[in-house]
Amino acid sequence: MKSLIHYPVKVFATGFVVLTLLSIPLFWFRFWCQTSLVVRMPSEARDVSITPSGLVPPELENDPNVVNRSRVSARMIVGPFFLGIADYFLARFPGGRHSNIYYYDKKDEDWMYFDEETGQIVCRYTGVQRMPDKTILKKKVQLYVGPEGISESPGKNLGRFTSPVVSISLWLTLYDKKLRRFFYFDLDERTVVKGPQLPKDDTHKPIDIGILRKGYEFESLNWSPPQVRASEEDIKERRSSSYELPPIVRRYYRYPSGQYLLVLDESGRIDLLDRETLEFAGTAGWLPAPKTFFPSKEVVTPKDLLSYDVLPLALDTDQKYRGMFAVSVSREGTAMALAVFDEKGVQIKTEHTKLRKYRGRSADVDSSKAVFFEAPWAPVSTIGIYLAENLHPLLLSLVSYFTADSFEAAAGHRALFILPNSFVAMKGRDVSENTAERIITALLLMLPSIILAILLAWRVNIDATTVGLSENARLCWMIGTIAFGLTAYITYRLTRPKITLVTCQNCGNLRRPDMNRCHRCGSKWHIPELTPPAWRVLGRSEQVYEGLPAEEAEAE
Amino acid sequence: MSDNVVIIEDLVKYFDGRCVLDGINLKVPRGYIYGLLGRNGSGKTTIIRILLGLEPPTRGRTFLLDAESTNLSAKVHGRIGYVAEGHNLIQNYKVSRLIKLCKDLSRQWNDEFFNHLIETFRLPMDRRVRQLSIGMRAQLNLSLAMAIDPELLILDDPTLGLDTVARRQFLELAIDIIQQQGRTILFCSHILSDVERIADRIGILAGGKLVVDCPLEELKKRVRKLRVIFPESAPANLYMTEIINQQNQGREMIITVANWNQQKQTVLETFKPSSCTEIPMSLEDIFIECTKPSTVPVTDE
Amino acid sequence: MFTLIKKEIEDHIAYFIGAAVLSAILIALLISAMYQPEPRDMPVFIGLSIPVIVILIVGFPAMGSTQMYTDRTRKISTLLSTLPVSRRQILCARIITGILAILTLLLPLTITMVILFPLFTPPIQMYLGLVWEIFAAAFLMAFACYCLGLLTGWNSSKIIPTLGGLVLTSILLPLIFVKGFGLHTVVILLLFIIASLMRTWHTFMSTSL
Repeated sequence: MKSLIHYPVKVFATGFVVLTLLSIPLFWFRFWCQTSLVVRMPSEARDVSITPSGLVPPELENDPNVVNRSRVSARMIVGPFFLGIADYFLARFPGGRHSNIYYYDKKDEDWMYFDEETGQIVCRYTGVQRMPDKTILKKKVQLYVGPEGISESPGKNLGRFTSPVVSISLWLTLYDKKLRRFFYFDLDERTVVKGPQLPKDDTHKPIDIGILRKGYEFESLNWSPPQVRASEEDIKERRSSSYELPPIVRRYYRYPSGQYLLVLDESGRIDLLDRETLEFAGTAGWLPAPKTFFPSKEVVTPKDLLSYDVLPLALDTDQKYRGMFAVSVSREGTAMALAVFDEKGVQIKTEHTKLRKYRGRSADVDSSKAVFFEAPWAPVSTIGIYLAENLHPLLLSLVSYFTADSFEAAAGHRALFILPNSFVAMKGRDVSENTAERIITALLLMLPSIILAILLAWRVNIDATTVGLSENARLCWMIGTIAFGLTAYITYRLTRPKITLVTCQNCGNLRRPDMNRCHRCGSKWHIPELTPPAWRVLGRSEQVYEGLPAEEAEAE
Repeated sequence: MSDNVVIIEDLVKYFDGRCVLDGINLKVPRGYIYGLLGRNGSGKTTIIRILLGLEPPTRGRTFLLDAESTNLSAKVHGRIGYVAEGHNLIQNYKVSRLIKLCKDLSRQWNDEFFNHLIETFRLPMDRRVRQLSIGMRAQLNLSLAMAIDPELLILDDPTLGLDTVARRQFLELAIDIIQQQGRTILFCSHILSDVERIADRIGILAGGKLVVDCPLEELKKRVRKLRVIFPESAPANLYMTEIINQQNQGREMIITVANWNQQKQTVLETFKPSSCTEIPMSLEDIFIECTKPSTVPVTDE
Repeated sequence: MFTLIKKEIEDHIAYFIGAAVLSAILIALLISAMYQPEPRDMPVFIGLSIPVIVILIVGFPAMGSTQMYTDRTRKISTLLSTLPVSRRQILCARIITGILAILTLLLPLTITMVILFPLFTPPIQMYLGLVWEIFAAAFLMAFACYCLGLLTGWNSSKIIPTLGGLVLTSILLPLIFVKGFGLHTVVILLLFIIASLMRTWHTFMSTSL
């Protein structure tokens, strides 16, 4: 019957069970509060626009017939953050970030995917063949694309990719991280163009090519060209009252001709890739940093953002690259930044979401702050989130402070144990204060948690003393309770020795019956309720006196 | 292999803050029949449960067949036959299913002997255990315990519910077993005539202590009940130790003494009694004397 | 050990039958969904599947709870402990039986999906990895719920095994919604299972029978 598990192992096992079962309801409470906050966010704090956009040539922008100037706008779409189950399926379905299937058309049975086994991209599409009698014959074509060529059958001669970063379009461009070069494939001509191999110590680390977009459900970016008053001839021809200079950008697979492709780097920088030479041709810009609750770093990486979208601009007339618009949403989902970059990659305009200073406000309030306090009932949700975060183990809150940047933004909304979106973690990302000030502020934010932990540790210590745990055990429990707060306290209650204490006849305190001596006064046992007789009839040569072993009886 | 099959060292047991056993020390040598006696609630069943590892001790250690009770292996369990008080069997099982389960789990099974027992007791195979009478359950329990040919047989009030004939059959079975070399029986019973018939050694629990632990014959010699008549009124205090009970009525004194010896004889003679006759006692008489509340104040020698 | 496992299965055969029946129902739903011509009435099938899934998830903690509760009230381990059987073997047999019940439900379903998907999906590996990941996460979640039943079942009161298991399962189950079926869930559930089995082990090994 002897238990194989020692006490510390039992405590850790119970502790993990308690931590998990406590973290889940706390997560749901925080989730509910956060969702109610973002849903109630004032509408004006979600929109941002820049007009004129700054990228349209002055002769077009300043045309006297222009009715509305060019405009770029973005809107933060608020709603419940995606839970893990939805994110799991979205990421794994065709086109998802964890899917090797870049494209799949169920109706036509066309697809494009990366076959890990062969290391080649497999493309299947409906090809069109003109027959001599000028009829069109549609046939299914399946091609295998490798670094060394394209063929209708797979083969080692085509080479293999290891970890490709792909731009989906008819003109397939990809970057292989292991081969460290760009490739361009023309499926119609069945040709492969290789770019130069980047040096091993090159700072470029591309993670996305072409359409740079993440988290489309959290924002929408729109651009409208200058709107011109229609002439009388136009009206007569029943054309629309305004015409547009269509931008070069398309959101779908068709990506019209243009000089450059945009390449997103791991650092947040956006580079220009020359389509013909497949070499870097300069910097297009970078992902703008939204204004968060505590000022965080000015340069953000894609991992830090819940959502971003980049829209390059060219004119139909000359297809020349004019610049780009970039929008990004903070990891908390409460702040958005819109930036305009010219063709040289210089940031010419920036706007952030905010509540304006009219309507009774003395100054503009950033949306990341407005979300917590400005909407009806928002302060209640904010307090709810704050209290829920303070019920979290103190140690894990501290870990959140130091690891605030390690988590991918969307994953942070699904975190159970470490909270990268908590107030403490946000403070960890604060760049406006020095380290000491940051830590002190973070500790002040954790004050309720610290007070609770100390109170619980005190209670645990008192109970542990009563129960007769050793000094080392009591110290460990106190430290553990301060570190893990409510979780540790519940664990203690579940794992404390379940012994009914007995009153010591010597000191009057409660003592443990499984110990030979009282852990308070050190006295031996005396059981007044049992009244055994003084005599014994034992099958030994010497008589044993009550309460004494034979050796001591001899001494008597 | 040690000579003692059962070893109990300084066993203490508390139940909800109430002490039941207060420092029990006991050894049962191999090949003995040990009768453990005590009044209701004295801790007999508790000792057995602790020995079998069914209950943790509060303090102290116990050993069965050289293995500590808190860590008995399946192999050691296979060498022990146990009949629990109340005959704890799986109530909703049919008798045949229960037998099959015990047979499949046992390391050795004497089919012939078991079938003989089943036939002797006339146990119905197709009935559920809960539908059996208490006596039948006792017989089934006994049969299952004995079928494994145990090295050590632990019986907790095994004849509870058995009729006279079945009790006699059980006693004879027990004697058969003990006659096989190296077999040991530890048993508790309230039917002291049965205990007296077969036990080699007796243990009596009282007040949380083992007050008696010696061979049966020695017990009868060492505990004496005397009827003493004095010339004048019987003295209130004999200045004698180890008096179990004392009743004074005028000139007559009936005294029960433990560990009667020459010294105590001499002490008694100093009071110049007119007569002193011994009252023979059976085991039951000794048990009653040892366990009933004593009115004699304890005196130190 | 085999005898003990057989005993546990026989004693709780109702759960195995239930698992087999529910597995058959889910397979039938899956096959009819696959063979239904487009457009498939998926909401109906999902709607029918949900109560079935809820029953399954409640069933496993109930099984664990029942195993421990009936043992404690009928003193089954008390009898078995007096036979050449150790407590370790009794508990291992019990846990293995629970695993077999879960596999009775999930394995036929998963095998059916693995067979059917290539027939109805294009010849590219779209969903196969998904099927095994979902199977692993579902198995671990069912096992974790079963372990919760084992934890709460060793109690003489009827309320704690019943309500306790239900409440704790309803807390744990949404972990799938929070984290999805991926590696994070698998790791958390594995650690949870190990921790709860250790706790159950300790309770069972040190309790009085």
